[in-house]
Amino acid sequence: MAYIINRVLSVLLTLFLISVITFAVTNILPGDVAMMIMGTQSNPEALAGLRESLGLNDPLIVQYGRWIGGLLTGDWGHSLVFREPIAPLIAQKVVASGVIVVMSMTIALLFAIPLGVWAAIHRDRWQDSTASTSALVGVSLPDFFWGIMLILLFARALGWFPSSGFVHPADDLLGAIRHAFLPSLALGLGLMAHLTRMTRSTMIGILQQEFIRVARAKGLAEREVVWSYGLRNAIGPVLTVAGLQVGYLFGSIIVVESLFNYTGMGWLTYQALLNRDIPLIQSSVFVIAAVVMLTNLLVDLLYVVIDPRIRLS
Amino acid sequence: MTPIINIEKLRVTFGKGDEEVTAVKDVSFSINPGETVCIVGESGSGKSVTSLSLMRLVEFGGGTIVDGRMTLAGENGAIDLAQADADTMRDIRGDEMGMIFQEPMTSLNPVFTIERQLTDGLRVHRGLTGQAATKRALQLLKEVRIPEPERRLKQYPHELSGGMRQRVVIAIAMACHPRLLIADEPTTALDVTIQAEILALINQLKRETGMAVMFITHDMAVVAQIADRVVVMYRGDVVEEGPVEEIFANPKAEYTKALLAAVPRLGEMRGKAAPEPLRLVGDTVPPKPITPRETPELLLEVRNLTTYFPVKGGPLRRHVANVHAVEDVSFTLNKGETLSLVGESGCGKSSCGRSILRLVEPTSGSAILDRKDVLAASHRDLRILRRDMQMIFQDPFASLNPYMRLSAQVAEPLRNFDLARGLELQDRVAALFDRVELPRAYMRRFPHELSGGQRQRIAIARALSVSPKLIIADEAVSALDVSVQAQVLNLMMELQADLGLSFLFISHDMAVVERVSHNVAVMYLGRIVEIGPRAAVFENPQHSYTKSLMLAVPIADPRDRKQIGDLNFKPIPSPMHPLSYTPEPSRYETVGPGHLVLREG
Repeated sequence: MAYIINRVLSVLLTLFLISVITFAVTNILPGDVAMMIMGTQSNPEALAGLRESLGLNDPLIVQYGRWIGGLLTGDWGHSLVFREPIAPLIAQKVVASGVIVVMSMTIALLFAIPLGVWAAIHRDRWQDSTASTSALVGVSLPDFFWGIMLILLFARALGWFPSSGFVHPADDLLGAIRHAFLPSLALGLGLMAHLTRMTRSTMIGILQQEFIRVARAKGLAEREVVWSYGLRNAIGPVLTVAGLQVGYLFGSIIVVESLFNYTGMGWLTYQALLNRDIPLIQSSVFVIAAVVMLTNLLVDLLYVVIDPRIRLS
Repeated sequence: MTPIINIEKLRVTFGKGDEEVTAVKDVSFSINPGETVCIVGESGSGKSVTSLSLMRLVEFGGGTIVDGRMTLAGENGAIDLAQADADTMRDIRGDEMGMIFQEPMTSLNPVFTIERQLTDGLRVHRGLTGQAATKRALQLLKEVRIPEPERRLKQYPHELSGGMRQRVVIAIAMACHPRLLIADEPTTALDVTIQAEILALINQLKRETGMAVMFITHDMAVVAQIADRVVVMYRGDVVEEGPVEEIFANPKAEYTKALLAAVPRLGEMRGKAAPEPLRLVGDTVPPKPITPRETPELLLEVRNLTTYFPVKGGPLRRHVANVHAVEDVSFTLNKGETLSLVGESGCGKSSCGRSILRLVEPTSGSAILDRKDVLAASHRDLRILRRDMQMIFQDPFASLNPYMRLSAQVAEPLRNFDLARGLELQDRVAALFDRVELPRAYMRRFPHELSGGQRQRIAIARALSVSPKLIIADEAVSALDVSVQAQVLNLMMELQADLGLSFLFISHDMAVVERVSHNVAVMYLGRIVEIGPRAAVFENPQHSYTKSLMLAVPIADPRDRKQIGDLNFKPIPSPMHPLSYTPEPSRYETVGPGHLVLREG
């Protein structure tokens, strides 16, 4: 219990720090919201009036308080580029990106774990070198390379999947999956390579432990020794790395979503940065950070289920 | 009588082609029903590989059985285990033969309950599941005499002590009533009182079930306590085999003789006034005792040394309790003498040594080394004071930098204190290599090119480089093979005689402590419970803990075996206390000249 409270408290503290940093950085950056709204040619008096009405002349601490208060009450302000309320805008894009993140993570874990275990049990033999070499290739190549290759193969040549666009899962679940498939695969391949390597090295460590020898000495079948005794111990570290990779995924979706013209958080953040849409930048950066934090919190809580040493300490 | 297992001309290799290494060259011996056979040897002798080959587990570690037969007698005829297929071996493992291993802390799967791990074997060999399996698991826990067996079933390994975990591992091996129990160093990682209990348990289970035991160990004292027959192995070969009394009374092979000469035996210093080096095979001159100076000169005076480690807890990681590692410890050490701190794991002996060097910061007390209080010294003064006190650590593999040449590592303290430069530095390093009896050619080598004993000599040379007055040796010979241990112990004693060094010798090994010490302090729960001249403490122990410790030590003499009735050790209570806890000061009673005993109660 103390462990859970600990984790939740540390997440809240981190979120607070992130909100301060995003707010501070966007305020230090050159550019002025009022100028953005009215244009550089606007008349100075109107500009001053707008500044006053937006509260830009208040001390920073007051502005921060207003922003964070808005975040908590659901009033996230208006986007300057899209000229609509930020909260529903982000909510929709989070769903879009969520679909890709979840799908790419599922694809990655589904292949990485068996592949990593397979490489580990055939350590230093051809199976291992095959798996490890392909994983190394996967890690080394950037996501957009996979994106382009996938578009060429599955969209252009075979025509199995659409190469661009986003469909909301509430409207058409199958369509949403079909549209998200190629960007998810592009992201998932790199991730899979990374997690394969992680699974392999963790399993190699675990398989050398004495309790594995004890399990074999009991007369257990090798299948049970590896997949039950071994994997149950390796899964924790693998999930931890997978959780940390969610942060990396949100970095990569900026490129991949642009490539597939998939309108998710990556695309939205990119538009916001491009147009210096400061309220939108603040909110989207904060939301991405929060999602990453919450995913890691989820992994930490999963640990409670996986590892009795944490459950009981 | 048909032996249960008959091993003939076993040969096991690791690796392929040019890198092939033969771990077991040509091993033959047999084990009869109801017999305990000890396979004894030092590291690299092939004793563990032999036992793993018997279970055919050696293949999982990259080994190959290239030749030989291992005949297991059975009701439906004999099976050659060397030729058996994987399915047959799976049926035999855990059913006909059970195995226990060295490390109880890692022998159990941390994420499964004790019940699950106990019932695995019952499920695959007997088809027992559910209630029936649980019932048998409970019965097994009772057979290995675990306290509160019902509660243990639902617990996880980390909730059990090392001794209890080893009992669980034994219960797992015993689950299907094996005819042969293979025990690979099952007590090496355990404290001496728990070792005594586990040895007694294995003996008792053997009597109750009639199974045979193959017991692998490096410890001659354990052999003397448990074996019916002994197989001595050296570098992959059997060098001698015979009944245990015969091996101890009348060893034939040169190697066995050397091995036995290197083993310190508890009680063999009786009647001697001062410590003396072991007389090893090949020594022509009898060893000289290390007599203390006529007029004792005080080097180190420790007063009321107390070290607590904070325990953090709660959501805010607040300081909620203290581990009382060292509790009001006082002693003195004279120049040219050795004081040993002896006790079981967690008794505070290492923390005590580290506190004096201030590798951990003590909570209170004083440690006066040559009229200077180490514990009150500023950081600048402490650096200078540390020239006078050096430390040798337990693990010679971890205490040397793998990327530095040996000469540079020995020279480092001299450079640090700028005591020598250039040619003079080289000369002094060379002289130190001579001093610890290592060839000068080793100066340009790296640690991985040396054996464990040679590395420990480097660690000693490094400690000696700045001519310290005090050397704190923390389990400095515990990780070494007996023959190497004897050489390193002799070296340390010679250095003491020649250079007038003082040693604070920290060890769990009573026989080694008896061999090297002028004075002995027995520690328990952070306190010294008994301190005095070696002869007084060993020959006339007064504190109940000292007595039970002495009782638990296995003696390297098969005529002097422990009876199970002797053993009744209380578990050691936790040294963790809430912040509000105020401990009693340590109060002693004088029972002889310099012999103090902690008041009990």
